[in-house]
Amino acid sequence: MSGPAAGRTSERDTSRELLPTATGAQTLAALGAPLRRHRLLAALAIGVLVTGTGIGLLTAPLLGRLVDLVVAQRGTSALTVPMVLLVAVAVARGVAAGIGRSLVARLGEIVLADLRERFVGRALRLPLDRVERAGSGDLTSRVTGDVMMITKAVRVALPEFAAALLTIVLTLAGLAVLDWRFLVAVLLAVPVHILTVRWYIPRAASVYARHRVAGGALQHQLLDSIGGVRTVRAFRLTGAHAQSLERRSREAVDLALRGIRLVAGFFSRLNAGEFVGLAAVLVTGFLLVDAGSVSIGTATAAALYFHGLFNPINAALFLIDDVQSAGASLARIVGVSNLPAEPGSTSGSGPAPADSSVKISALRHAYVDGHPVLSDVDLEVRSGERVALVGASGAGKTTLAKLLAGIHEPAGGSIVIGGIDTRDLGPTGVRRAVTLVSQEVHVFAGPLAEDLRLARPQATDEELRAALTRVDALDWVEALPEGLATVVGEGGHRLTVTQAQHLALARLVLADPTIAILDEATADAGSAGARVLESAAVRALEGRTGLIVAHRLPQAATADRVVVLDSGRVVETGTHDELVAADGRYAALWAAWSDSRRDQPLPTQREAAD
Amino acid sequence: MSLGGPTEGGPTGARVLRNTIGGQRRRLAGASLLGMAHQACEALVPVVIGLIIDRAVTTGDASSLLSWLLVLAGLFLVLSTSYRTAALITDGAGEHAAHRLRIAIGARVLDPRGGADAGRLPGALTAIATGDATRVGAVAAAVPYAVSALTGLTVSAVMLLRVSVPLGLLVLLGVPPLLWLGHRISQPLEQRSEIEQERAAHASGVAADLVAGLRVLKGIGAETAAHSRYRRTSQDSLTAALRAARSRAWHDGAILALTGVFIAVIGLVGAHLAMSGAISVGELVAAVGLAQYLLGPFQLLTYVNGEFALGRASADRIADVLSSPPAVPTGEAVPTSPTAGRVRLRGLGHGALHNVDLDIAPGSTVGVVAKDPAAAHDLLLCLGRELDPDEGTVELDGVRLTELDPVSVRRAILVAHHDADLFEASLLDNVRAGTDADEADLAPALSAAAADDVARALPEGAATVLTERGRSLSGGQRQRVALARAIAADPPVLVVHDPTVAVDTVTESRIASRLRAVRDGRTTILVTSSPTLLAETDRVVMLDGGIVAAEGHHGELVAGCEAYRSAVLG
Repeated sequence: MSGPAAGRTSERDTSRELLPTATGAQTLAALGAPLRRHRLLAALAIGVLVTGTGIGLLTAPLLGRLVDLVVAQRGTSALTVPMVLLVAVAVARGVAAGIGRSLVARLGEIVLADLRERFVGRALRLPLDRVERAGSGDLTSRVTGDVMMITKAVRVALPEFAAALLTIVLTLAGLAVLDWRFLVAVLLAVPVHILTVRWYIPRAASVYARHRVAGGALQHQLLDSIGGVRTVRAFRLTGAHAQSLERRSREAVDLALRGIRLVAGFFSRLNAGEFVGLAAVLVTGFLLVDAGSVSIGTATAAALYFHGLFNPINAALFLIDDVQSAGASLARIVGVSNLPAEPGSTSGSGPAPADSSVKISALRHAYVDGHPVLSDVDLEVRSGERVALVGASGAGKTTLAKLLAGIHEPAGGSIVIGGIDTRDLGPTGVRRAVTLVSQEVHVFAGPLAEDLRLARPQATDEELRAALTRVDALDWVEALPEGLATVVGEGGHRLTVTQAQHLALARLVLADPTIAILDEATADAGSAGARVLESAAVRALEGRTGLIVAHRLPQAATADRVVVLDSGRVVETGTHDELVAADGRYAALWAAWSDSRRDQPLPTQREAAD
Repeated sequence: MSLGGPTEGGPTGARVLRNTIGGQRRRLAGASLLGMAHQACEALVPVVIGLIIDRAVTTGDASSLLSWLLVLAGLFLVLSTSYRTAALITDGAGEHAAHRLRIAIGARVLDPRGGADAGRLPGALTAIATGDATRVGAVAAAVPYAVSALTGLTVSAVMLLRVSVPLGLLVLLGVPPLLWLGHRISQPLEQRSEIEQERAAHASGVAADLVAGLRVLKGIGAETAAHSRYRRTSQDSLTAALRAARSRAWHDGAILALTGVFIAVIGLVGAHLAMSGAISVGELVAAVGLAQYLLGPFQLLTYVNGEFALGRASADRIADVLSSPPAVPTGEAVPTSPTAGRVRLRGLGHGALHNVDLDIAPGSTVGVVAKDPAAAHDLLLCLGRELDPDEGTVELDGVRLTELDPVSVRRAILVAHHDADLFEASLLDNVRAGTDADEADLAPALSAAAADDVARALPEGAATVLTERGRSLSGGQRQRVALARAIAADPPVLVVHDPTVAVDTVTESRIASRLRAVRDGRTTILVTSSPTLLAETDRVVMLDGGIVAAEGHHGELVAGCEAYRSAVLG
């Protein structure tokens, strides 16, 4: 089977369906809404900044005035007024900049917080299969990388960009006031700027995009190697992993160097613009003074104005790229924010299930067309009944669990919970009734109590303790360094797989659904842990309808009913005893399992096995 | 050992910084020279502007205008070229330095002796190898910037001194207090920025964590609770950001005001001198232009100062990793070759193990049942020499593991943990990790672990690339691939921990019988309580209370030992 397909592995990702990216108009609209809400703040911020920059521009004419006073030999006493004005301008400019930038930052941060909160809210309410089709990395990179990129832009690039742009515009206005011909002279430099930006942006966009990909690959390699360091050591893979790391890092460095070359080329091209503009202003000054149209002081002020523009022009043009990438990140975030939430997420109140019975009829499902995972599954579960799903890997147990929990929508057939079709309940309604404890063990970062409160936000510490007691986990929780307040998960106290599963069961107790599904919840805990968890699971299920994806047969043996799945179909159903007596597939599984526990001498068994 | 260093055996943060800069000294020296030329040219631009005003605009001399414009053009050419080259070398040096640090950190973490990963999460170590390495690299790159900024300051000071001694002195004496003031103003800012970044990173971490646990959240319908948790951290981050932004804004405002006043003072003094005829109008223009130009080098020095502050903290974190003591020291001895595979534990005590005596004959298959999971874990760590036991010894063919090199121990004894990680590579390459064998030779290992079935179920068979540490497979599939990898490595002693807990019963019994056949003649230790696997062993040892509590054939123990029955049959 591996033969013909081998060697095409690198192209697999193309089948992924990434989450959408917003159009420019949608992105602007998403920015517009919070800006409109804070329009007073926005107007005030812009007003103060314009005033401050305008005041700052008085420096050059005041210095020009000093020159004129000197040329006219008006005596040192005449210098007092421009001197006082210069100092006043400096102080006023500083104060205005302080207020203006605070206000702009305030506006930016508030809008940013609004955007990211809306985005994460929506991301958490996306249908899971949509997220899975895009690959988990897509959403994660938007939640971390893109939000950080925008944050950086709001904190660093945006204020600088705005300040530089403002300075440029007002300086040009100032030049025009001195004499309109100075403005014309300065504009001679603009073609150089346009050409430079047009040379730079497309190249930079491509190099930076590739650099980000290389950086991601490097990060991934580090996580892969460091996360699996125990395995790396056990299999003596240090050399191989160090080599991959070196290669990934080298690739990222090479692209970074290309980026540096671009930036250096960008600024050195802009130097040409500086020269053209400066020479033009000086020649204009020369001609205008010669013609008697302006004073030497004015010509000086014009030259100083343009000299003062060197840095703002460089900054503004350079930041175009940052602003553009922030815009791209924003489009990726708005793209997710604008996605429809799961149906029913907002409506809230609909018909409520009458009881906790489940009726599955003619259920079909396929992840890939033509490869059915479930075909024609019929299953009825009474209120309060405990049913075990048994079958080999790939029989469709997990898929059935996910469909029932409302995580995927079935391709065909129906699921009725308490008399109401799940399509009418909506995914949220389904999840209010059904809780799924999945294979996935995830401990949420933060205090352990906060992890539990995700299942029931208003739970008191006493309720949390009661839930932990019910799943027999209170002892080890209290033994943690700070008990319920111990910080667990990423960056905190590390819990064992068994403990993490204990938490998952305690969350189930707190969520208190009428129907609970346990999917291989004990599989990863190791054999000793598995038994501890099995009894905890039984207690967590008390008083609920339970569907257990059973791995270990004793779990099935204690259930009210056993359903055997094979290749997506229900092949047997009945109580443990009935099925053992029926001598079918379940009986064979049971025999294989109990064989190993029979207290017989070993040799015969080994012979029988081969 | 480092001379006079505060810690033994490893570098300090200061030393990491020094080595990083020292490692790039050629590049940095070249870039500094070019940077000096660049800044000197930048400083000369206002001087030439002044000269043009003086010699051409004031006099109306067109030929003088032309020749001075040519000088200006030449100045820009040198300025542009030297800037471009300096930037290439400087930032290149930063990247190269970061690369070297990254490689060093990677090598230290992956080192067979271990120790660097203890108590640090993969995410934190990754952040050190990326973010912190980049930051320390940036410090190296900041050196030429500092040198060139100082050069710019010096050149303009000399120019000003040539124009007029009082003006030059004013700049020279005015700059240090100005720098000092700027530094004082930025101190609380640094603190607030740090809090701001910390909160932002925290909010980002919470969001990533919630998305990582999305399946769990969906399972318990906790989307709303999760969203409000994120909103709380986001608001915290907002508060910190606003505080930092306010102080950043006032800091910028104060710097603007300070430098503005400084330029005003220079302008005034210059004007007085020009009025009295001590300097020309053009020299006054040059002085004012120079004072304006000085803002650039000032800002550059502030930036360099900031880079150093950030870089120092990063260098400390890197030094911490690089100097973490190894979990096990290197031994000189190499195991006898060929390794027979006799494993002997004498009075072994570590963690949950108290006094374990155990003899495992070469080529035998032994089951170990540990009532306490912690005891199993500690036993595995001791057998793989991931740590050295507090008491007692582990011997391989009569040689203590502590005398052996950890790498050669692992060549002889392979410990396969039950939650072993797969890597982002094809299934086949994952299985091939511990061996040089050809694809054809892997078939027995794949079949013994029932991983051939896993391969068949994948879209591209054994060539399918597994993503994110094998997360694209189910728990049971992952275990089977990991077991195939351990079997394929074909070590003289194989220690497997719970290899089938996530595997279904039928497959488990198939694995149990095949495992025995494929390991025929080599020592195999199965740490498990699965009766299916234990039934296939020559002998079973039960650990209880940290000591060997029972020993015998699986069948005998099931028949005769109540504690064993309850441990294994539940």
